[in-house]
Amino acid sequence: MASVELHSLVKRFGSFVAVDDVSLKIDHGQLVCLLGPSGCGKTTTLRLIAGFLEPSDGEIRVGDRVVSSKSRTLPPEQRNMSMIFQSYALWPHMTVAENIVYGLRLRKMDRDSIAKKLAAILATTKLEPLAQRYPGELSGGQQQRVALARALIVGPETLLLDEPLSNLDANLREEMRFEIRRLHDEYRYTTVYVTHDQSEAMTTADLIAVMNAGKIDQLGAPEDIYARPESEFVARFIGAANVIKGTARDATHVEFAGTTLEVVGARLTAGQSAPVAIRQHEIQLSTHVPTAAPNTLKAVVTRQVYLGMNRDYMVETSDGTSLRVTTPTETAVEKGSEVWLTLPPERCRALSR
Amino acid sequence: MTTSSPAARPRIDWTRPVLWLFAAVLVLLILLPLSWLAVYAFTDKNRHPTLANFVTLFSNPDFLDPLLTTAIIATTSALICCIVAAPISWLVSRTDMPGRQTIRALVTASFVTPPFLGAVAWELLAAPNSGLLNQLYRLFAGEDADALFNIYSMTGIIFVISCYTFPFVFVLVANALDTMPGELEDASAILGGNAWTTARRVTIPLALPALVAGALIAFLQAMTLFGSPAILALPAGFHTMTTKIWSLFQYPPKLELAAAAAVPLLVLTILLLQGQKALLGRRGYSVIGGKYGAPRRVELRGWRWAALGFCLLVLLNPVFLPYLALLNAAFSPNATTLVTPSTATLHNIVFVFTELSSTQLALKNTVILGTATATIGTILALVIAYVTTRKVIAGHRVLGFLATAPVAVPGIVLGVGLFLSYTRPPFVLYGTLWILLLAFLTINLPSAYQQLQAAFTTIHPELEEASRILGATRLQALRQITAPLLRTGLIATWCFIFIGVMRELSAAIVLFTSQTKVLSVLIYDLNEGGDLAAIAVLGIAMLVITFAVVLAVNQIPMSGGNAGARLRNG
Repeated sequence: MASVELHSLVKRFGSFVAVDDVSLKIDHGQLVCLLGPSGCGKTTTLRLIAGFLEPSDGEIRVGDRVVSSKSRTLPPEQRNMSMIFQSYALWPHMTVAENIVYGLRLRKMDRDSIAKKLAAILATTKLEPLAQRYPGELSGGQQQRVALARALIVGPETLLLDEPLSNLDANLREEMRFEIRRLHDEYRYTTVYVTHDQSEAMTTADLIAVMNAGKIDQLGAPEDIYARPESEFVARFIGAANVIKGTARDATHVEFAGTTLEVVGARLTAGQSAPVAIRQHEIQLSTHVPTAAPNTLKAVVTRQVYLGMNRDYMVETSDGTSLRVTTPTETAVEKGSEVWLTLPPERCRALSR
Repeated sequence: MTTSSPAARPRIDWTRPVLWLFAAVLVLLILLPLSWLAVYAFTDKNRHPTLANFVTLFSNPDFLDPLLTTAIIATTSALICCIVAAPISWLVSRTDMPGRQTIRALVTASFVTPPFLGAVAWELLAAPNSGLLNQLYRLFAGEDADALFNIYSMTGIIFVISCYTFPFVFVLVANALDTMPGELEDASAILGGNAWTTARRVTIPLALPALVAGALIAFLQAMTLFGSPAILALPAGFHTMTTKIWSLFQYPPKLELAAAAAVPLLVLTILLLQGQKALLGRRGYSVIGGKYGAPRRVELRGWRWAALGFCLLVLLNPVFLPYLALLNAAFSPNATTLVTPSTATLHNIVFVFTELSSTQLALKNTVILGTATATIGTILALVIAYVTTRKVIAGHRVLGFLATAPVAVPGIVLGVGLFLSYTRPPFVLYGTLWILLLAFLTINLPSAYQQLQAAFTTIHPELEEASRILGATRLQALRQITAPLLRTGLIATWCFIFIGVMRELSAAIVLFTSQTKVLSVLIYDLNEGGDLAAIAVLGIAMLVITFAVVLAVNQIPMSGGNAGARLRNG
């Protein structure tokens, strides 16, 4: 087993740069999520790691061996990896059992060992009663588990997952998230997981690499990414934060809509424009002037929706910026009313990009 | 749970060299004959560049008349095909007419009937003196009455060609109507359009591109057909372009003129196919988006049986009458006498299969060529379809284009091109079965390729990738995953090529020699000798094999209902 390292990886399709100078080190046994909107290059990166694509530049190492470089790319079958595909890619002409043991047969393993391993993986994935069925006779969740079993039984050094849950319905998706994490903890493969769903990434990953336009925008633990976004893109993509555009007054203060906000995060340079992120449920909304609280400003309610668990407000500040605010259901304010917003300084994150 | 990597040391990847080899074969197959065609068309006997061939072609009445005849035949047939096929396809696809499936099957039957066989059958029915229909007429009108029908005439040719060309229009229009979502009509109805308005404003405009495209294809077929005009026009003493080209190969051969005469056919075919593609591919007319329900059927009420009667009456001409005439000829001592239980004989059948010396040879040649062409063609089409759908090598688009290009080369044009290419060193293939193999391969490649490409696109590439990542090489993945999934498609393709070879006449007619006669050429020869009973026996045998294959293939899931649509008429 080994780590996976991407060094300045580039992939071009004609003039389009799908993966743009990506470097990433995934330690042995770690689960890394490539997270980003469609078209950000995450699947291309995964397919480069798998060997289905050849890099235009840079290299990929597994342990101390170079598996992909501009000059030479090891074909996928010689990489000792496994992959779970978005479509599951179960072979419709083979039974569940035949699908699962395919990789072992290719490795010329003897009959008894195959049977033993098959029994073990069927038990782990709760597929015993379905072993002789064909994939067409299974539900989406069962197909997903067969795909998992087929990928895991060969004991790969590296496991690759390409949006594995996107074809499942909401309930099952949540259940399978934990299942994937549980299996990862049990077997400890080096895992690369591609998804566009941030909560999927949050529950499964040790490290999240948020990708945008072919580059890794921010790399960090789920908590880092959520609580300490560095760029406007990450702040917006993870948890749909408000981003306000102010002007820096000094390293920790920003002028915005006639007030001065105290912020944390990136060090600012006076006079420069400064984007600041704050999440909708961290803004406090009140109908009267808050006493002695820093970072308050006036706004007008432009929309109010009752969502059951809470209320969702759209408010407009004096300079015309729209902010989204989530409050408990008790605070009911009519559309058109004036309100005061409090933006707690420790929640206002100045962004570097 | 650790197992070692299945392949420790890298091996040479043979895939690319193999693929380039296939590309080279394709280029040779298609570009070589067309190049020689161009060389001959634009040079004189000493290979000096000249346009004299074209001057002769467009000034000598010997060539102008066939050109005009061909234009008249093609235009009229295309028109008739549309007039007949449009109502039938609407009735079958959009109404509650009884027996819709039967009508579809009967149209498919006329589709797969080789046109030259249909022409011979109509000789049996409507030759001025001996034709069965004319005999019947004289029973009422008196012994000395003039013939009611004369199949050896322009009208006769147009009629017979239309009989076996209208299915092309039918397939396209019925397919357009089948896939047209019922909601589009419902949307018009809910906005206040009555049945007639809806048909006029929605249904007909949506089906129109398919109808026009069908008309172009019908025109093309009528223009490039060799068998029917050769059988019906030559006795009547006039030529079409295809028969004229063929006659230029008779002694003394005028190869330069033949090549030049093939050029207009080739150019027109390419133009018409482009027109058809533009019509069917136009974005505005393709049905877009969403999920749609099955179309609603128009209730014909009291007209249901009248509609069925109309369809059956039309199908009398391409199916019932000719088949009856063939059956009659096969079992009658005299091809143009109605058989009775007392005169019924098996003599013709015995004669054809035991005494007629050329039958054995032609059958043997046909089976050899059919098997070889089907096998090689399927493999070729398989590899090209794989390359183009999986985008394995750079330039895969060129390969796909080359594989479909022969569609635009009429059989007789290809025949001329191959003749010119392979009667000279280093490839002296004329007089061998090889040249026929090349012709049949080229002719059948486009449909085989399209069929397998469609099959490939139903197989998700991730199915192969899953096998690769688990340790299979490209070839292992192809053998263990792709091949089994493609099996039905492969069998169907093989069968269709086999049938295609059996019915091909227009290229074979310029390429055969006495030792390389095939079944279709034999039938043509027997017609020249007036041996209609033997033709009937061979023709029925040919039809039985064809129907058996089409039926069998239709039983296999995956290879759709209008399998006949992929056949190409020779």
